[in-house]
Amino acid sequence: MAKKKRVSYIRGKGVSKLRLAYENHEVERHQNIEHYKDIVYQCGKCGTCRTVYKDAYWSRICPSGEFGQFEAYFLGGKNLLSWAVTSDKLKWSEDLAKIFYHCSVCLACTQQCQIPEIHHYAGEWLMAMREEAVRLGFGPMPEQARYTEHINKEHNPYMEKHEDRTNWLPSHIKQSPDAKIAYFVGCTTSYREQNVAIATAEILNSLQIEFKILKDERCCGSPVYMTGQAEKAKKIAEENVKMFKDEGIEKIITSCAGCYRTLKETYPKKFGLDHGIEVIHMPKFLLDMVNSGELKFNKEINMKITYHDPCHIGRHMGIYEPPRKVLNKIPGIELVEMDRNRHNAWCCGSGGGVRSAFKDLSTFAADERIEEAKGTSAEAIVSCCPFCLNQFKTHIKDNEIKAFDIAELARKAI
Amino acid sequence: MNNNEIVSELENIVGEQFVSDKPEETFLYHYDFITAEPEGKCDIVIMPKTAEEVQEIVKIANKFKIPLVPWVSGINFGSTATPLKGGIVVDLRRLNRVLEVNEDDMYALIEGGTTWAGLQAYLGKNHPNLMAGVTFSPPGTGVVASCLCYGMFNLGMLGGTGAEFINGLEVVLGSGDLVRVGSCSLSDYWYGRQPLPDLAGLFIGWEGSTGIVTKAAIKLWPKLPFRKDFVLMGNTFDMGIPVLLKLSKAGLGICDIFVFSYNWIQAAIGAYEKKVPLNPLKDNLPVFISGVTTQAYTEKQHEAQCEAIETISKEGGLTEAPQGISLDILPYQAWGAWNFSRGGGGEWIGSYCSTREIIKYYKLARETALKHGHTSQFYSRLLFGGHYCVSRFNINFNKNDPEEIESARIILKEIHEEVSSLDGVVMYKAPKWAHEVYEEKIYPATYELMKKIKNLLDPNKVMNPGHGWGD
Repeated sequence: MAKKKRVSYIRGKGVSKLRLAYENHEVERHQNIEHYKDIVYQCGKCGTCRTVYKDAYWSRICPSGEFGQFEAYFLGGKNLLSWAVTSDKLKWSEDLAKIFYHCSVCLACTQQCQIPEIHHYAGEWLMAMREEAVRLGFGPMPEQARYTEHINKEHNPYMEKHEDRTNWLPSHIKQSPDAKIAYFVGCTTSYREQNVAIATAEILNSLQIEFKILKDERCCGSPVYMTGQAEKAKKIAEENVKMFKDEGIEKIITSCAGCYRTLKETYPKKFGLDHGIEVIHMPKFLLDMVNSGELKFNKEINMKITYHDPCHIGRHMGIYEPPRKVLNKIPGIELVEMDRNRHNAWCCGSGGGVRSAFKDLSTFAADERIEEAKGTSAEAIVSCCPFCLNQFKTHIKDNEIKAFDIAELARKAI
Repeated sequence: MNNNEIVSELENIVGEQFVSDKPEETFLYHYDFITAEPEGKCDIVIMPKTAEEVQEIVKIANKFKIPLVPWVSGINFGSTATPLKGGIVVDLRRLNRVLEVNEDDMYALIEGGTTWAGLQAYLGKNHPNLMAGVTFSPPGTGVVASCLCYGMFNLGMLGGTGAEFINGLEVVLGSGDLVRVGSCSLSDYWYGRQPLPDLAGLFIGWEGSTGIVTKAAIKLWPKLPFRKDFVLMGNTFDMGIPVLLKLSKAGLGICDIFVFSYNWIQAAIGAYEKKVPLNPLKDNLPVFISGVTTQAYTEKQHEAQCEAIETISKEGGLTEAPQGISLDILPYQAWGAWNFSRGGGGEWIGSYCSTREIIKYYKLARETALKHGHTSQFYSRLLFGGHYCVSRFNINFNKNDPEEIESARIILKEIHEEVSSLDGVVMYKAPKWAHEVYEEKIYPATYELMKKIKNLLDPNKVMNPGHGWGD
């Protein structure tokens, strides 16, 4: 008999897979760590969070744990450490904060745990612990503090100048100054993965979408928020929302998974900024255009590819199928899956401030994902997050496999 | 004790990255975070990668006379991996390789820290025609630890306890010597423990108090093409147990027979103890829910086996669950086992006993639980063709509530006292207090022998002190 699968969306928390869920309790999100201490103590540190259920051959799933090895680096350990500090069993320390920052908050662990409250909400206390670390002066990590300072000054975490943000913009891109649609490029795309920006803008032009790139576009605040600096991130968010309103923006298209998650989810749910602006991620936009017949892929791209699910749109937002559907519409593309895919995807190791603060862990995670992609015999890893893309490009050796953003392939196929 | 000196010597063995005495890292090894048993204290945790490293660690423990606790996931319902007397926890999860699978003689040679997830992954990818017996423990728990502690598997009707699945062992003794027991002591062929003196018994049931197992060969079984899982239900245990006993002795290709009480099922699927009927019998609910798995090589054989199972069940008044249910889901995080009361605490009285005592065991334990306002989470599995069985009764509590913890301790001891009056009831993975009961009851010369063995294998008493026998 085919196994009955329960799949449900829990308020933008990713696709959840609970095999036997008799009761699901709704838990308040975005609270401080005190709020969650009794829930985290349901954890028995049983180790289920360490491996994917048998769908993907029980593969390991937690980059932080596999690199750190000790219990503390897996979700079970983090659950009980959270309980310990809220129950006076353990004191806050730099070492404790470091354990919580030694994690890309990819949430793959949560998808394995079958305790509903932990399965759905563990991300809440992983973030709450970071916020508590910041409140007590143990966080963020020094590298993260440095880029935050730069964001405050130059509005990007890459130590680049704000005035250079649109250097990527070629003269042939046509913008409409009065457009109500903004293409929110994001820092990584603007400074590091400019091909993605060009491809996205060209696609919008080819579809005759009236859009503009904000003259004063700034960091969305994701790298600040994800490192527990909620107050600073909120300030950034408020300034951005004001700018969107001043510019008359009603719809934002973004090619960045992190920006998408932040604008769509974090601004209203965490910061209470109900901006009322429609936020759409590029793959979903492309799929809508294909489905409505406005976008046609006429050119063949003969390539075997594998798709990497970015954590920020996958487990954080529950978006797994639109990118795959778009890729499958491109003539000549053969899409093959890695063993660990969708909610079980192995993280690329760049998010949650890990790439800046824990380079060894970040490289470890990236290398493992690249090896897995190579194992499919695909010619390229395709993703829809410039941060993942840049991580892959940085770690791929000797052109052993290529890496593309979905917008780059879509642009080639038009 | 000077931790710095010991840590420094340990770092020389495994490298800095794999030793820690930081409170943020050792805290998680203090106890299992599930049971009502008292906490211990882990002073240092170390993660060796090879048997040679384990040997060096044991030598250091002997040099400093510091306790050593072998550890894989650290959870079991008897808290046998809790460092009761402090010391070094040896986390074996880097010793996690499947070294060999012998398809002819059907065994897997694995390292001491291999988890169920690791073994299942390896077999699923490389030997899909073979299967391992699997426990109800979560996927991250240890295969070898389970076998050594008499865990029982979903192939228990074929192979008996987990201990009987062991073909041979490689062990670092408490003295630091490395030994092999079984056929592997004469060759690299790990087919079994026969016909040499069966020294595996020096490490089975000792709860890590005689040595650290670095390798074990575990029996595998053929995955036959035809399989059916029956879920058979009845109103009472008086009605259902005789049917299961009859099935166990009928030679029907049965690899697993077990029974859950109604409340155990509710716990397993994540219900909340306070919201389910305390006494389902009163509501005429089918309190007897059993699982029977049969497999066969040919379709005709399978049909005949299934027909016989159906006939025996019907004659005994059991009804089959209307929808087919696959029981091939292990290992699984059956979190309700420790979280039925939504406080993350659970402990059992888990015992081996005679099959003729299952009904009495259930009733005695149930009455005690009901008296204290707890539901009846009972579970029993028939083993080795019906030669004996395991019976277990769970009690849940809120780990955050000291009164509930204390109450759970009292109830568990009461249940233990009640069921111990039955034939052959002996707890496995027994906590320290249960050991103390057995040490008083056991044949004195047997206990003296245990003490001599313990002294011989672990002269400085560094191995998991406070647990096991002859301490």
